[in-house]
Amino acid sequence: MSELLLEMGVLVGVTSPGVLLAMLGIASLRPRPWPEIYVARMTSTAMIACIVGLTTALGIYLTAVGKPVVWTARDWFSSYEGIFRFDFLVDGWSLAFAWMSAAICAVVARFSYRYLHREPGFQRYFTLFAAFALGMMFVSLAGSIEVLFAGWELIGLSSALLVAFFHDRPAPVRNGLRVFAAYRLSDAAMLSAAALVHYYAGDGSLESVFAASTATAHFTATQATLISIFFIGAVAGKSALLPLSGWLPRAMEGPTPSSAVYYGALSVHAGCYLLWRAAPLLEQSVLAQSLAALAGASTALYATFVARVQTDVKSALAFASLTQVGLIVLEIALGLRTLAFVHMCGHACFRLLQFLTAPSVLHDLHGLQHDVEANRGSTAGRAPVSGGLYLFALERGYLDSILDRFLVDPFCRAASFLDRLDRSLSGGAMTSGDSLLEDDER
Amino acid sequence: MSLPSIWATVLVGIPALVAVSALLLRRVERLRSLAIAGGCSMLSWSALPSVVPALGDWEVATRGRWLALGAGALLRVDSLSRPLLVLAAALWLLTVTVTPRTLLDRGGIVRTAIATLFTTVAFLTESPGLLVLTWGASVLAFRLALPGGQARRARGIVLAYLGASTLAFALGAALVFGPQMTEPRAKAVGLWLIVAAAVARKGVLPFHAWLPAVFEHGRLGPAVLFSTPQLGTYVVAVLVLPLASARLLSTLAILALATAVYGAALALVQRSARRACGYLFISQSALVMAGLDTASEEALAGALVLWLSSSLAFAGLARCVLVLEARHGQLDLSQYHGAYQSSPLLAATFLLLGLTCTGFPGTLGFVGEELLLAGAVRGFPVLGFLVVLAGALTGLAIVRMYFSLFCGAREDAIPLEIDRREAVGFAAVVGFLLLTGIAPGSLVASRLEASLELLASRATATRTSSETAIARGAVPSGAPAIEAKHDGTPVHPGP
Repeated sequence: MSELLLEMGVLVGVTSPGVLLAMLGIASLRPRPWPEIYVARMTSTAMIACIVGLTTALGIYLTAVGKPVVWTARDWFSSYEGIFRFDFLVDGWSLAFAWMSAAICAVVARFSYRYLHREPGFQRYFTLFAAFALGMMFVSLAGSIEVLFAGWELIGLSSALLVAFFHDRPAPVRNGLRVFAAYRLSDAAMLSAAALVHYYAGDGSLESVFAASTATAHFTATQATLISIFFIGAVAGKSALLPLSGWLPRAMEGPTPSSAVYYGALSVHAGCYLLWRAAPLLEQSVLAQSLAALAGASTALYATFVARVQTDVKSALAFASLTQVGLIVLEIALGLRTLAFVHMCGHACFRLLQFLTAPSVLHDLHGLQHDVEANRGSTAGRAPVSGGLYLFALERGYLDSILDRFLVDPFCRAASFLDRLDRSLSGGAMTSGDSLLEDDER
Repeated sequence: MSLPSIWATVLVGIPALVAVSALLLRRVERLRSLAIAGGCSMLSWSALPSVVPALGDWEVATRGRWLALGAGALLRVDSLSRPLLVLAAALWLLTVTVTPRTLLDRGGIVRTAIATLFTTVAFLTESPGLLVLTWGASVLAFRLALPGGQARRARGIVLAYLGASTLAFALGAALVFGPQMTEPRAKAVGLWLIVAAAVARKGVLPFHAWLPAVFEHGRLGPAVLFSTPQLGTYVVAVLVLPLASARLLSTLAILALATAVYGAALALVQRSARRACGYLFISQSALVMAGLDTASEEALAGALVLWLSSSLAFAGLARCVLVLEARHGQLDLSQYHGAYQSSPLLAATFLLLGLTCTGFPGTLGFVGEELLLAGAVRGFPVLGFLVVLAGALTGLAIVRMYFSLFCGAREDAIPLEIDRREAVGFAAVVGFLLLTGIAPGSLVASRLEASLELLASRATATRTSSETAIARGAVPSGAPAIEAKHDGTPVHPGP
């Protein structure tokens, strides 16, 4: 009985944002958007239902169940190799993270009604927001790699589309594409990890990855290393770890509430949460642990320097957030799991508050940003080391130019060469299409 | 006349009737209404074998010397062809429903009906002779559909690549299935020729260059209707897969995986939306081919699911580009066109169809890609990950196209939203892809059944050829031709 109630709570928690997404998606098919008040009420109702469901589930788990439960909501499809299931792994950690995600989403939704009042894309914003909330529920409660991947993709897509929310201006759109490119790398790593989990374990159950006893039983050290490296790759993309941190300031083009929930509170922590859950697997491999520690420590160092020279408050907050994310990853790699979880939840709530209050603070103390910029000074007269470091931080570690030079440009040149070759094979040379190279120039 | 024969006659009769009606109906809109009615009827009719057991699995043996190449049935419906017939009808219905008025004249409607007729006949047969005929006829019809003037070059390209592929197919079929042909080396050469023909028609490396050129310079509508049913894949499935050596299949699979990445990468750097569509199609169809040639149950089932999802999604995506072109003119991806303001519904449709092509969770594309990836990684533990790379690049290309076409400011925000007919057509396709993505159970089960049948036919054919070789003393009697279970099901190698 208590397990049934637990499952019902989880079901309500997961389906509420799903229903909201479906309703707003269908409403988007109408020629005219719904009145703002309808959208706001629907979102509030869905988020309250989500919180109530998860609170019930958490209460029942703590009082009556007390042990992890894998709940198969339904069999998605089956093949010769096994069944692709819609599984949820329900335990205290997953319920706590899901509850926190739902609460943060509810707060941000409430903030967004006023912030985006009379904005032409009001309904579009909340449709993408519902997709994000659903994605967070999937990632938090995933019991199979398919559910995890579905949530991962929903977060990535909604994030990129929200960065490009003000899509009549070229800059947000350009930055949205950059963010999506980083997320695609992350998604590719996640999908590769999913394929390996299926290949080695014979099914996509995350219980075998997340539980210490089964992780050792299912995977050899080499297999654990391979899967962990792909997981770290996925986390690096989603949580903006080095060397993929360059997209983070670009993502600030979106509306402030979405920046708060994605890059302050939840999205950047989704990667940490995944790594935290996969820690038993990580602990089987010294190489993977070292890699995670290196990524975390270097990101924390990088971000703390860069945050200190940012001229706009959102970027400063984003890099400050990244510093903590780096530290959380380091804690996970060092095996300090409880500390990492508390750090993750505490930091998500704190940074959300900072992001949401930032516009008001700037408004009340207008001129502050200018003063910060004026007091920053210049490199003149500084010692060579601190001057170099200052320049490094100001240029955000040259990450974008390094990626452009060693990845994007060679790719575009090779593709353009092949395109010219194709054109000559099909009977004529025409203008080659290397427009990606020119995206930043227009 | 038996019930299946009546059913097949009506099925091919519907597009034929619409094509003939063009002689009688003068008004184009009336002819289009008839074509839409014909498309709806054909769609319902083609779905009957899935619900009526008497029509679900039957065949009519080949008669007559001119078609008697090999032992393939002249007409048949089985688990492989059932959804393909529905696909052919759906593609026709989508074409006549959503193509803008300015782009679909009387001749266009007739051409779509004739193209559907050839595709349907091809999906109804496994006779090599009839397949060669429908192959050649569809190439001819496609070539005639391309306009003259500036598109003359596209006609030349079609003639060169597809003409050569038709000749290769005919020669290969004669070598493999000809009644006088018993020499194994000639049969091997014949199989390679058929594979080359299929590769050229599908636009797999190195015979791919014609496809983006035709998409860019020819008529996009006929190009989509010609390529999306993927007749080349069908030929490989029914003629090559049962007979091909493991080496031939793995060569083809590696080539197809490389093409999938190549197509997605080149789609990412295009300026012309049409040409980007051409490369996207190359990538999508190569993924299907890769799954087919991996010859594992899972990859094969994934390829069969992907065949349906990518064909429908890509056809819808290309139609979105066509609809946008009709409203905004030529689409240059290095600029922002701001079409979201005027056509938000089309923007949502484009994005959802594009996401299906990338294998986004919740769409049918995800199901196909998951199965394909699982099978490909088993078949090729390293190269199998090219499926992931192709998916990542395709996603990036789609989102770049979306941003370029639908984002940006437009000074002249004239309402250019799609009309009700177009909206219904697109909504039906998107709805099908989402519903089957969320609840894919029965579709996946039917594709698994089809993959099992294909592999069983391969096991049977290989065993027969092995017995022949043993009888001729070429192979020692103890050597197994293919690892197979007692019921003919191939054994999976395992991790």
